This record gives sequence, C-alpha cells and structure tokens, in this order.
Amino acid sequence: MLSYDDRLKLLRETKIRHTLQKRKQNGYTDLDDFGTVPLPEGYRVTPYYNSENGSFYGYEGMAENFCRVLGAHPPYVDPLEMLCGRWRDMLVNYRGDVHYLPDWLKNDPKTQEMMKSVTNQWSKRWDEMRFPYEELKPLQKRYNIQSGIDSDAHFACDYSIGFELGFPGLLEKIRHYRTLNPEKKAFYDAEEKVLLAIFDFVERHVAEIDRQLVTEVRPEIRETLLEMRSVNAALLERAPQSFHEVLQWTVYFNCASRIYTRDGAGFQLDTLLYPYYLRDKEAGRLDDEKTIFLIANLLLTDPHYYQLSGVDENDRDLTNHLTYLCLDAADRINISCNLTVRLHPNCDPGVLERSVFYLLKNKNGWPRFCNDLTLTEGYMRNGVDKKTARRRIAVGCNWMCVPGKEYPMNDTVKINVAKVFEVALEEMKGESAPSTARLFELFQKHLKIAVQTVADGVNLHLDHQWEVTPELVMNLLMHGTLEQGEDISRCAELFTVGLDGAGLAVVADSFSALETRVENEKRLTWEQVFSALEENFPDERTRLILHSSPKYCQGGTAADRWALKLTECWTKTVNGQVMPQGRCLVPGWFSWARSIEYGKAVGATPNGRKSGEPISHGANPNPHFRKDSAPTAQAAGIASVQCGFGNPAPLQIEFDPLLKADDEGVRVISQFVKGHFKEGGTLININILDRDTLLEAHKDPNLHPDLVVRVTGFTAYFASLSPAFRQLVVDRFLEGV
Amino acid sequence: MTHPKALIADIQRFSLHDGPGIRTTVFFKGCPLNCAWCHNPECISFAPETLFYPDRCVGCGGCAEGCFSDAKVLCGKEYTPDELMEEIRRDLSYYGEDGGVTFSGGEPLGQRDFLLEMLLRCRKEGIRTAVETSLYIFDEEVFRNTDLILADLKIWDDGLHRSFTGVSVEPIKENFLRLGALSTPVRGATPVIPEIDQGIEEISRFLYGIENVREYVLLPYHPIGTKKAEALGKKQRVFSVPTKEFMKEIQRNAFIR
Repeated sequence: MLSYDDRLKLLRETKIRHTLQKRKQNGYTDLDDFGTVPLPEGYRVTPYYNSENGSFYGYEGMAENFCRVLGAHPPYVDPLEMLCGRWRDMLVNYRGDVHYLPDWLKNDPKTQEMMKSVTNQWSKRWDEMRFPYEELKPLQKRYNIQSGIDSDAHFACDYSIGFELGFPGLLEKIRHYRTLNPEKKAFYDAEEKVLLAIFDFVERHVAEIDRQLVTEVRPEIRETLLEMRSVNAALLERAPQSFHEVLQWTVYFNCASRIYTRDGAGFQLDTLLYPYYLRDKEAGRLDDEKTIFLIANLLLTDPHYYQLSGVDENDRDLTNHLTYLCLDAADRINISCNLTVRLHPNCDPGVLERSVFYLLKNKNGWPRFCNDLTLTEGYMRNGVDKKTARRRIAVGCNWMCVPGKEYPMNDTVKINVAKVFEVALEEMKGESAPSTARLFELFQKHLKIAVQTVADGVNLHLDHQWEVTPELVMNLLMHGTLEQGEDISRCAELFTVGLDGAGLAVVADSFSALETRVENEKRLTWEQVFSALEENFPDERTRLILHSSPKYCQGGTAADRWALKLTECWTKTVNGQVMPQGRCLVPGWFSWARSIEYGKAVGATPNGRKSGEPISHGANPNPHFRKDSAPTAQAAGIASVQCGFGNPAPLQIEFDPLLKADDEGVRVISQFVKGHFKEGGTLININILDRDTLLEAHKDPNLHPDLVVRVTGFTAYFASLSPAFRQLVVDRFLEGV
Repeated sequence: MTHPKALIADIQRFSLHDGPGIRTTVFFKGCPLNCAWCHNPECISFAPETLFYPDRCVGCGGCAEGCFSDAKVLCGKEYTPDELMEEIRRDLSYYGEDGGVTFSGGEPLGQRDFLLEMLLRCRKEGIRTAVETSLYIFDEEVFRNTDLILADLKIWDDGLHRSFTGVSVEPIKENFLRLGALSTPVRGATPVIPEIDQGIEEISRFLYGIENVREYVLLPYHPIGTKKAEALGKKQRVFSVPTKEFMKEIQRNAFIR
C-alpha cells in the first residue's frame, strides 16, 4: 500500500520527468515553471479573431478565446494526487506573443498559417489601431522604458470571495447583477461565459475520474479517486466546504486564471485555509499527514506566490499550526516553491527558524522573506490606512498587493536608469564645464521626462485595458467588479501603480568613478572619459582606473552616497508625478530578470562597464563590489536604498555559506535575515546553494533536473534555463562565494 | 590624547568561521611566528608589503602612477580606533547575540595598545569580541577584556614546533596554563597537517585539562596561503590536504570537548 510519502516521491519524479519533457517541447524558458504540464500531441486551438488587425480584444474576444483554449485543455487526473487540473497553453499565444507556445506547436504548419497575420511578436497584445501611442514610442526607446501598456494581471484576487460563493454562487452573483445593470450586459455575458467554461472544465474532470475508476484496482488509490469524485462533483453544486474542496477549488481557479493570460497570484495560505483545516480536523475528517499531502499537492500544481505568517491589523501574530504544516508540506515535495514568510517582531520566532532550516536543508531557494514593518509603514505613506496596508501581501517577484482591491500593474513598469544616465551624459558632452553636479542636474531633468512618459503610458493602459484585455477571470474574485459591471482596471479601490528603477548600481558607481578619478584625483580628464566611452574602452588601463573606483555596497564610499542621493531623487520624482483619477506611482528598485536585455541598450558607462554588458541586478551592487563579497555589506547597502512607500528594493542574494542545517546554521542565517530587516530592508529573495551541485548542473543540467534556483523573485528549474541565464545565476553565485 | 594607530592587513565582513555567529574579522599585520603552512603569509611582516599577481597584470606600463588591475596589491593600511570602529559598526545589526568582531592576524597582540583600546571600545558599545592569538605573548589585560580567545596549539614536540613555526612551543603551553587562571572562555584549535607528527592526542589531553578551554577543534590544512606567499616573492611548502577519513581518525583519538 502506497503511503503519502511514497506518493509524494512518485509525484516528484513525475515533476522531474515533466521538466525534462517540457524543455524538449519548448526549448529553454527563462521563466517561472508555473506548474505547467507538457501538452499532448494533437492539441489544437482554433482562435477567434474579432479585430481587423488579426487579433482579438475586449469582452467578446477574450471570453470566446478563453472558452476555446480552456476547452482544448485535456483533463489532468493523476490518481497518485488528490487534486486534479493543470494548464499549459494561454490566450496571449494567439495574439502574436508566441513566447510561451511550445516549439513543436510554433513550428507546426497549421500554427504558422494561423499566426501569419500576427507575425510581429508582442505587437498584437495591445489594440494599437484603436489606442495608438506613437508619440510615446521615441521617448520609451530613448529611456529604455518598459511601459506596462498591454500588461495584464499583476494584481491579487481575494480568494475568500471564491471560497464563500463557490462557482455556483459566482454564477448567481453575475446573473443577479446583470439584471440590476442591464446596460453592462456585454460585461456580464462575458463573465458568465468564462465561468460556464470553468464549469465545463470541472465536469470533464469528473468524467475522467469516472473513467479511471473503472480500471483502478489499488484500494488506497480507488479511495482517493472516489473522494476526488465527490469533491469535484460538490464544486459543481455549491461552495467548497471541506479543506480538500477548498484546495481543489483553488486549483481550478488557478488553472483558469493562468490559461487566461498567465494571470494570477496566490494568497495568505495559512490564514485563509485555517478555518477549513480546523473544522475538518475537529470533525475527525482530516489529520496533519493528509493536510501536508494536500498542501504539497497544491504547491505541485502551481508555484503561485503564497504568503505565510505575519501579523493582523492589531499587530497580533497570524502564525498558526497550519503555517508550520505548509512549510513541512513544501519540504516534503521540495520543488519550485514561491513561499514568502512575512516577519514582524510579534511573530512566533519558530517560523523563521523552521523556514531557515528548510532553506539550508534543501538548498532549493525557498522560502523567501518579507518585512512587515517597512512594507506596512511604507504603503501607509500613500495615504492608505493601516488595516489595508497590513493586508497587502507578497504575491509576486518583487511585489505586494491588497487582494481584491488593488490594481497596481506591479513589475510591469520600469525605467532603465542606466539609460537615463547615458542620455544625461550625452547632453553634458557638448557643454563647456562638465561636472558631476551638472550631470546630476541633467539626470534629474531626463528622469522627470522619463517618469512623465511612463505616466502617460500607464494612464493609456488604465483607460483602455478593459477594451483590450479585460481581466475576466480575476474579476470574479475582486471587490466591486461584478457589483458594478466594470473591469477591475476601471473600478479598483487602489491604483497604486508600481514603477521600478533598474540599474541603480551602474549609475551610482559611474557617478562615484567620475567624482573620484576625474574631479578629486584628476587622474583622467572629462575628455578622456568621453572618448573612452565612445570607443568602448580601447585602453584597458583607463577602464580599470574607472572600474576600481569606490563602489556601491562597499560601505561608506562615494558610491554609497551617490546611491542614496539617486534613491532620494528617484523617489521624489516618481512620487511627484501627478496622476489623474486617484492613481499614483509608487517607486521601487527592481529589474526582474531583464538585466541582460537592459544592458544591451546601454553603451559603455563610466564605472568601467563595457557597451552592451548587463546592467546591475535590481538594487544589487555590481559584481566584485568588495573583495570579500560580504553578504552583510550587500544587505546593508540595499537596506539603505529603500524608497519607503511599500514597494521593495529586494535583497537578492545567492551564496554557499558552508553552513549545515543545524542550530548554528539556522542561527546565523536567521540573524542575517533579521539584521537586514532591522536596517529597513523589505524583501529578501534568497538562494542558498550547494556550490558543487550548481557547478555540476551548469556543466550538464540533466545531472540535476530537480535543482531549483531563485532567478529573481521567482524560482525556476535550473535545467530549464537557457545557457546565458544559467551563466548569469552561476556568476552571481560565484560572486557570493 | 593621541590615539594609537594600527597597521591592518584586511577587514572581512560576514566571517562565519572565526568564532560564533556573524562576525567582522580584523586581520592585524605582523606575527612572531612563521608557520610553514600559514594561511595569511601577508600578515607575518609588521611592515606594509606589496603583493604581485602577474596573471592580473594588463601590461599597461603605468606601474609608477599606480596599479588598477589588482596585479599589485598593497597590504597594510593604518587605521585609527575611530576609523576601525566605523568599519566594525557597519554590521552591528547582523551580529545578534553571539556574533561580533574577531581580532586576528597575524598576531593582534603585536599591536596590543591599539588592540586593548578596540576591545574596551567594543565592550562599551556592547559588541562582543574575540581575539585570535598565537599565544606566544600573554597579556592579562587584553585577555580579561575580550569575550573569547581563539588560540592554536599546533605541535606538541618543541623541536618540531621550532622547525615548522620558527619558535618554541613551551611559552605557548605555559600561556595556555596561565589562561586557565582567567575566566575568559577559550577555543583551542590545531591545524591538521598529515605530514607532521603533531601529537594531537597529547595536545588535546593537555587542553582538556584547562577548564576554560570550552572547545577544541581540529581544522584541516588548506593550501590557501600558497598563492599569497608567491605574490610576496616567497615560496611556501605545500602539504597534503587531509582526507575526511583522516580527519575522522584523528578526531577519534583526540579529547574533544
């Protein structure tokens, strides 16, 4: 008879097999794993286009294509699991963004024919025929801006709405409000269509379970299948009631939101599930072993961002027994997990200890940590009350969101400040008296234009997103959407739009190099620097003179001072941007996984960085910032450049501290986390890796197909990353050794 | 009042292996011993030195105006107590209850006035300290004002000790016994070098008898100093790195507390 542990072991093996199979099907993907499964041969979708430009938009276009893609997804029932339903394909693949489409489907002649009208990647996501922004494009290019125009999702649902109503309750809600708001019929019809497609998806799973029951002979698996059948059938009739039902409901909702456009974010796992756990446990229907299995199963279905622990609006600890079971479950399945542990001085210290123990034991990049105090106090500075700020949970690579109430576009809007610096430097070249003071003035001037350009793009997006890519699935679990008949992009309570700066260390170190070598030491003249940059450092000595200048995160250097000054300027400029309709921009430092791409847009810089080389990673220092690469030096530096409005400058760190998962190891890493948060840090994306394993996997990824690394905020299977990305992770790691 | 200055070879933050917890290790320049396997040969001389790494040289010909490729590295920078405290305070948030600062080297007691000044300042600011010493010198005032003493007893036999470290082991043994009269905890250690009959059993039995030697550890030799010695124009003998099995065997015969 198979125990839960046996089953988890087998599921882990299936996951590894899927990872390798997906790499074969899709090639390398420098992305989150998303819990996808390989698509079966013969999978086919015929999209419906409702726009003259060969794409589909709006309520009708999105709802119809959602039905087609979800309808084409085969049911996924693995009798070793207890939860069913998985996803692979999504709507944007049929709008010209073939990024996620498996290679074999991309190369299929029928697919190619279908894609003929949408050959220009990314171009058909936004309906430019109706909502053009030609005037913004030159400026977006000039400052290397990721505008956020056409970016969907990146906000968080309030799952409690779904748990309370279930699919039937949501259907009733849609129909009820349609009668109250007849002028919004198109919206409600689309929402109804989406929901009915989800019903159909559930029904197909029930049928698949029935089919498997006919042949299954193992008693424990038959028992599981029968339980699964009852759970799934219940979800068609009513709101989820048991722990198992509420998790299965979550998996279906997550599948639907992912298929829609890779949407979605998780929730506060321990708190939201706790009443269901308690009720079932008290009724004798659930024990901790089964709870662990079910949570592990949920984590296996999708590495959504879930938060654990933290405190409530009265600063009372939210940690409960389920918090620990969730950590134990993640340990048992030990795959790509995006669990964030929220820390506050009032939290049970055992949670940090258990989390760090697993971080050291598994060396798989989970969990990560966020700091309640700085995040809550920071977000309140946007004029938000404490209760709301407290509810803003960590559900993305670098971002937080108030579930059900906020539409922040987080992680979709960025300015490459290294590019802004380059433009400023270029302008100063023609002037008679160059100086760092003048350069900073010009930097401020251009930053202001760049932020205005971002604001214009964000406003265009928010004004028209409902007509382009309405958030039909996630609308179901938002406040006010169904009640008003409006897309969340129009009716959110909070439009605190995240704007991240990328390339801080490149700019800080460049200012430092100019101040130190040109102005103070007079080793080089401005002309020599300009000429060296223009010609991409033909003379290595000149480059080294600049490169060896004091760097950001060394501690107390000119570059550290510049990093503070730049952060102050960044925060002031972003905060100062006037936005209409109660919207506001919230500053942070983050480059996601775009440091290579952003680097290609920037020529040689005065910190000795050659043209086209990657820019610095998020708020991190440049490589070789200190001889000892001290993680505390990095942590202290990053703690000092927090923008302070609730959006983080994450500490992203990977290292092998040669510590065991014992008391001493746990004490040291816990102290490291506490130290960074004490200094004002907001989020730690941490990778504790085993040097030998990483280097072996870099040489031959097939040797360690289960190795997970945290690339930025997200974790990914190392074997799925492209060689360039693997190199980036290895370089960052070696820097920390 | 003029404060003493010290010649410091290096400052390493997030040091995890020079005492408990997260530490900042300050490497003092200068040591009375000259161990054949020394990990920090750049800390033996009491004067500033230049290390030369030819593989990093870009051949720019600008040596006289300064080297920026890290081919020529000056070892030895003077610090005032204020300057050093500033460096130590940088990781204050990370020290927690057990971490702190370790004064190492070289031999920190080689610059004892400065060392004592630092210990008193740290104590005043609540920063825990450790002194890593060869114990060739005994300084009761220093040892009473630190929270932990890290000291090696490398070879039991005096003749061997002289030939591999350049000094007699007898004063070191005597100083260990004198430490026994203090209440400051001591961590004793021996770097394990397979080629030398170090007398680890005797060393461990001796240290076991000293009450405040709270811990005794065996550290496997690593040829970490070879490259640095070469950069100083010296040749350092390379010993073999003990295998895990060798270390286990040695551990079995040692009195470990």
